[in-house]
Amino acid sequence: MGPLISAQNVVKSYGKHAVLQGINFEIQPGVTGLLGSNGAGKTTILGLILGLHPADSGTLSVMGSDPWKAGADVRTHLGYAPEHHTLPPDLKASEFVEHVAELHGLPTAEARTRASDALWLVGLGEERFRPLGTMSTGQRQRVKLAQAIAHDPKLIMLDEPTDGLDPAQRDNMLDVIKNVSTEFGINVLISSHLIDEVERICDGVVIIGDGVTKASGSLDELRGTAESFFRAEVDADAAHVAKLLATLETTTPATADGRIITMQGESDEMLTQFRDACVQHDVGIVRLEKNRVSLEDVFIESMS
Amino acid sequence: MTDAQIYSQGYRRYEGPRTGVTGAIRSLVKHSMRKSLGLGRSARHKIVPVFVILIAYVPAIAFIGVAALTKELNDFLDILPSYADYYGYITTSILFMAAFVTPEILCTDRRTGFLGVYLASPLNRISYLFGKGITALVMIFTVTLGPPLFLLIAFSLQNVGPDGFAGWIEIFIKILISAAVIGIPYVAVSLAVSAVTDRKNFATAAFLAIVFGSSILESLLTTEADLSKTLRLLNILALPVQLVYRIYDESAAWRVAANSTSSLWVAWFGWVLVSLAIVWVSYRRMLVRR
Repeated sequence: MGPLISAQNVVKSYGKHAVLQGINFEIQPGVTGLLGSNGAGKTTILGLILGLHPADSGTLSVMGSDPWKAGADVRTHLGYAPEHHTLPPDLKASEFVEHVAELHGLPTAEARTRASDALWLVGLGEERFRPLGTMSTGQRQRVKLAQAIAHDPKLIMLDEPTDGLDPAQRDNMLDVIKNVSTEFGINVLISSHLIDEVERICDGVVIIGDGVTKASGSLDELRGTAESFFRAEVDADAAHVAKLLATLETTTPATADGRIITMQGESDEMLTQFRDACVQHDVGIVRLEKNRVSLEDVFIESMS
Repeated sequence: MTDAQIYSQGYRRYEGPRTGVTGAIRSLVKHSMRKSLGLGRSARHKIVPVFVILIAYVPAIAFIGVAALTKELNDFLDILPSYADYYGYITTSILFMAAFVTPEILCTDRRTGFLGVYLASPLNRISYLFGKGITALVMIFTVTLGPPLFLLIAFSLQNVGPDGFAGWIEIFIKILISAAVIGIPYVAVSLAVSAVTDRKNFATAAFLAIVFGSSILESLLTTEADLSKTLRLLNILALPVQLVYRIYDESAAWRVAANSTSSLWVAWFGWVLVSLAIVWVSYRRMLVRR
């Protein structure tokens, strides 16, 4: 399967202000995070994908079509949840979701049924007849997700979907979003500036900064550019640690800093050797952790 | 026999037909009309539209009653207003509809961020504004078209209507044209002010200021300053009704009567086109926020 979205040298300016200065990325099926600091150009990218405005130059393809030229056809199969929470306060959640489903081409009866289903699926079945103005921020975020999926889109775009949520609500929302991809088979693009939540649920990432693509690809690809290592804390004195290091046969030399031992690599064989050596020298392992390169490391490195 | 029941159907794919842009516009119009009329909302949202529509029909009901009571006395039928005169009785209703109900159609979507949701659907700015324009016209026609049509039908049933089928059709067509001539410029001006502010109250105040301000300004220029009578065409309060009198070939007491019919049409189109241009420019340049 080809990329859902591909951008090649896309440039977009508003007046003299160049927002995007030639971005390149490919978004594959699954959950993708669009990361960048405020003002990095994430909103402009979403607008281009929705076909709200044309690119000044470059090529943007969304599900095989140019969204500016085939806007209505592309948007029929897109779902979008905006960042803001100021939805019509006197509108009932079910009416709102049904209306958006109708806008995306569903006949009235089907839109009504699917609106109800979507609200149940995001956990608002019992609340579906409540006016939006009486709902909490967390509930409104769920309503926005429900309206994005009700018309069975191929791709949904969620703009800061956990904004305003407390930690428990945030965890729950991220689980629901992951479910939308894994259980419902809908591809998800999340625009966010929260690295940890993108890392938690996304398969791929596009990092935008200063109007250009700083990094893009699957999480594994991005992390794979840096080496992984094991770090162990032991309860032994210097003599024991020196003996321990001398017996290790790791592919790269292990180093010690006080009671912290660092070993480059991530093979199970290396871990087994270390464990056996500790037993042999009567050294206790206080802590053992596999340090992988985090998305935050990738983000910081790409921005530097 | 078991107690098993389906707890959840899970997520279902939708493979059926989609209604496209036409369906999106239809849904937009339906939803906007419900919102304008306060349907599905609390009672306080229904007060203004119901009141406005009611006061447009009350004179018609009164005149139909007069006709029913006095149709045997031909002299008394003279007290009934002409179709053109009728707009003088419902000017308040028409202005209220344009001032209070039309801003609801445009302002709220921007204020609540719903515009971003609309433009993420198959609608674009043109089809969105088209749907909103249709809604505004349907709403204003409930007061500019409904009551005269109601009068025509009621008078016809009481045998005090137009003479013959041809006469009936002629009046019917004139009612349709008059409703458009009265309604379109007020809707256009109201949409224009609603396009530049997302606050309904400001839009209402601005609309009323423009309508009554144009009348006062025209009066000052043509009467007090004794400038060209062409300046009477600035008066958007008087202009549409004056055109309606011309459509019915009736003499009018309005002071713009001295101006030619073609100049009235030019002014009418001028008001409409300038207003629609303001709407379009405003929305074309509008950066849709998240």
